Amino acid sequence: MNDDPEQLDQHVEDLLQDRRPERTPLADEAALRARQTAAMLRAAKPGAGLPSKDFLERMQGSINDWVGERSARPQPAARPSRRSLLLTGAAGIAAGVAAAVGIDRLGKARPPAPSSSQQLVENGSWKAVKAVAELPDGTPIAFRSGAIEGFLIRHGQEVKGLSAVCTHMGCILNYSKFRDQFECPCHGATFKKNGQATDQYDTPLPTLPSLQVRVQRGQVEVYTV
Amino acid sequence: MPEDHKTSAAVFASPGKVVALPQADAAHGQDHLTWAYQTHVTAIYQYIYSRVGNRPDAEDLTAQVFMKAISGMRSDVSVPELRSWLYRVAQTTLADHWREYYAEDTGELEDDVTRAPAPRENPEAVLRVDSLLATLPESYRRVLELRFLRGYSVRETAQELNLSETNVKVLQFRALNRAGRERGRAT
Repeated sequence: MNDDPEQLDQHVEDLLQDRRPERTPLADEAALRARQTAAMLRAAKPGAGLPSKDFLERMQGSINDWVGERSARPQPAARPSRRSLLLTGAAGIAAGVAAAVGIDRLGKARPPAPSSSQQLVENGSWKAVKAVAELPDGTPIAFRSGAIEGFLIRHGQEVKGLSAVCTHMGCILNYSKFRDQFECPCHGATFKKNGQATDQYDTPLPTLPSLQVRVQRGQVEVYTV
Repeated sequence: MPEDHKTSAAVFASPGKVVALPQADAAHGQDHLTWAYQTHVTAIYQYIYSRVGNRPDAEDLTAQVFMKAISGMRSDVSVPELRSWLYRVAQTTLADHWREYYAEDTGELEDDVTRAPAPRENPEAVLRVDSLLATLPESYRRVLELRFLRGYSVRETAQELNLSETNVKVLQFRALNRAGRERGRAT
């Protein structure tokens, strides 16, 4: 069958209403490309494409189930640990995450949140991420390097690093210059520039872990894997 | 990218840089999986959303990606490997989606898994769209902007452009097909 404007518009209309388009066999690759392009355009509309709170909550429930099922099965043989990258990193971040999840879903005892002095990364290396000159005084600048999503904040000669992963459900935080705080695009959690959660939940969210940062020859380096 | 089916497992089993997690302690392995999920779910969702353009499909496919990832993932992959693997699973899941529902066997466009996925996919998507629209003739660009970026209905678009509704649909059809070709050319 040939693709036609009417059929394609039905597909576009479904996307614009955030409905699942009807599954119809397509005439050719061009018809598919047109639909993929429509999807790309749809996603570029301001505010589109973020997971809903409801979905993230359902997913978190499924993840807990899947992880539980998986741990009930025999695991593949462990390789001897050659390097211990992220040893405390993953466990530390996950502990914070689990604590947050515990508040939301289970209310059960969970591992304590990592203290902000706890190091996220072990046996990583220093990587340059920004020039000091790029950092305005007092305004956080986002960066990513390897496993780390973070913010750099310069106060005078001092540069600090903070994890940009929200301790609620793991979305990546944005910095609002206007409100001078970190904001989660998913559920609206907010954090002060020192990483402390602003009270919004009955049990406060864990503080954002700080990152190891140093300055070498005008470059800000972050310890990362 | 048909070979993805084969390579996805290989990537994740690759002995490269291994993040050794405390295997003896099952709780840590679980934490690793939960952590992997938490730190990637939004980016993977946005990635998939920008390919399918609607919420129900994006939710289903995201759930599939993590289900596959969690059932198959070893607890000792490095974070870059994990990230790359999640995106590969996302790509094969999308390719299956197109094949299954539209009977079209084709890979995804712009599939460069070697690049680090953008944590803030949306601003990037907007940039990509801007540069794509810039390649189109004015009338094509206009109809796509009104329909997609401003969310005009066909009727509103017809009024704005002083065209009939049928002509708006024809223009939209030509514009999307042309843009689809432009994207294919760019990759």
